[in-house]
Amino acid sequence: MSDDSNGVPTPGSPEQYAIGISFGNSYSSIAHISGEGKVEVIANEEGDRQIPSILSYIDGEEYHGTQAKSQLVRNSKNTVAYFRDYIGKEYKSIDPTPCHASAHPIESNGVIAFSVQDTESATANDVTVPEIAIRHLRRLKNSATDFSGKAVTAAVVAVPTDANEEQKTAITKAAANIQVEVLQYIPEPIAALLAYDSRSTEPATDKIVLVADFGGNRSDAAIIASRGGMYSILATAHDYELGGAQLDQILIDHFAKEFEKKHKSDPRKNERSLAKLKLEAEAVKKALSLSSSATFSVESLADGVDFRSTINRSRYEISAFKVFGRFTRLVEEVVKKAELDVLDVDEVILSGGTSHTPKIAKNIQAIFPESTQVLAPATTPSSLNPSELSARGAALQASLIQEFEKEDIEQSTHEMVTVTPHITKAIGYQVTGQSSDSFTVIVPPDTAVPARRTTVIDGLEGDVLIRVCDAERDIKVTKPEPTAKPEANGAKDSDDEDSDDEDDEPEETREKVWKVKQALAEFVFKGLKKGSKVEVTANVDVDIALNLSARHLSGKGGVRGEIKAAEVTENGSA
Amino acid sequence: PPSADWKGDSDANPHFKSLGKLSAPINRKIEPYGAQFLAYARRKRHGRTFSEDDRI
Repeated sequence: MSDDSNGVPTPGSPEQYAIGISFGNSYSSIAHISGEGKVEVIANEEGDRQIPSILSYIDGEEYHGTQAKSQLVRNSKNTVAYFRDYIGKEYKSIDPTPCHASAHPIESNGVIAFSVQDTESATANDVTVPEIAIRHLRRLKNSATDFSGKAVTAAVVAVPTDANEEQKTAITKAAANIQVEVLQYIPEPIAALLAYDSRSTEPATDKIVLVADFGGNRSDAAIIASRGGMYSILATAHDYELGGAQLDQILIDHFAKEFEKKHKSDPRKNERSLAKLKLEAEAVKKALSLSSSATFSVESLADGVDFRSTINRSRYEISAFKVFGRFTRLVEEVVKKAELDVLDVDEVILSGGTSHTPKIAKNIQAIFPESTQVLAPATTPSSLNPSELSARGAALQASLIQEFEKEDIEQSTHEMVTVTPHITKAIGYQVTGQSSDSFTVIVPPDTAVPARRTTVIDGLEGDVLIRVCDAERDIKVTKPEPTAKPEANGAKDSDDEDSDDEDDEPEETREKVWKVKQALAEFVFKGLKKGSKVEVTANVDVDIALNLSARHLSGKGGVRGEIKAAEVTENGSA
Repeated sequence: PPSADWKGDSDANPHFKSLGKLSAPINRKIEPYGAQFLAYARRKRHGRTFSEDDRI
């Protein structure tokens, strides 16, 4: 913080220090690329990597993060929380619900503000949301600066996919106020995907990824076609009333009822008691993500009575059954919106604090086939911390572009560059010796052009015809043969299983198949030796012309061919 | 296996036959993030092809 002189950082200069910021309604985090080139989530002075997005004021002193959060009990009126989604918005368009237990958003001269005593005087000031954002970002910047010893000059900020230009402009302004240049905004699901993809050293594969970001007060899901390391968002879905807060509420109700039974008073009816319940419920919830039981303990919860109780995970999971189902439904909704099937999804990334909940991850894993990898602590031990994904992705992106000139970034992110044709059908091949409905994908659908893919066909022999075709994905449903006859069923150990059997009966197997639409080209290789390999390369250029080449590996010569673009692909529809 | 009377497009290219054309694409937005995108943007802005890019 000592030197704010380099307000306009010189690109490429050693003073440029860009971080990734995940700016959430509930929590924020900051990350950077460490000296060894690794992504590192930075802890603030209190040792928190998930820093509550909360500011609180006592006698003119500002508290931030966890310290501010604990003020929700004694000093809630002067504590500002859940303000991220108010940035760049109009007062009438916001939902003030999350702020009931803290300073309320008010309209002050046409902007959203909070009335808090942020100075030593006893009168409250209207502090506008942009000003709150500045103060919050300043604390984050200072934490990163203190940690690394270098002044933060720039940042990439992760935002939800539905963040609009007004919101981004407002955040850019707030950051500029503390001499931080926002280099770029990165959608949270892309950041999460980037955080995972950067782990692997192998070249990027083609996959469909679903990123579900389960937050504190909202949850978002997105389907991303990842093609050769380039990402296209196919669909997004949002639930603005679903998140960790709904799970906290279940625990609040559970313990409040228990307290009421014992002491004949409902702690939810008293503001301060409710605030204590809330804080402790969140702590219990987090504990239940890690262990199978947790202790709830609050001193002087209500009427001066201390309260202590325990809950085990299965009890909690039963109570939260309905809410858990809503997370699963959001995931199903986004798959449907993308006009895909669960079988199309290769990878599910669970992001956000609520993704620590084992049951939520397990439920989501259950709706996907076994081949789909669900990346969450409960389902994949090697998964990254879901709370850190956005900040990590933002930091990675920051490190990629921090050397660039602002103009370069703007030009590269312009729609001239980013809006591009994507092929709609898969390009693949059929080969001699395989059944007529076989099809192997070379270039998957939803791939942006130009695109180039190479594949090797193994185990060829004799005279071989390779037919390149395009195909659409189809879901093949196979109903099992009705196995047991009614009487046979009764004869066996049936009684207890009878009803189950009936439920299971229509259980059908669904599989993904490719339906060949049309042949594009054929290659012929003659007199191949046993076990020959042929490498096929497909190169689709911007005007959808297809260049094909096939090469006999360890053999002589290759075959090339070009398929010209279809007449005038005038297609403004998308 | 190829039928006996299978013939390529031309004598110059006897082992290849073109049969159809790709169907129309739809326009989508690529997200401008990650190393692969930056490589793509660089190619696009300089009007380079993959192989030209490989050579650099």
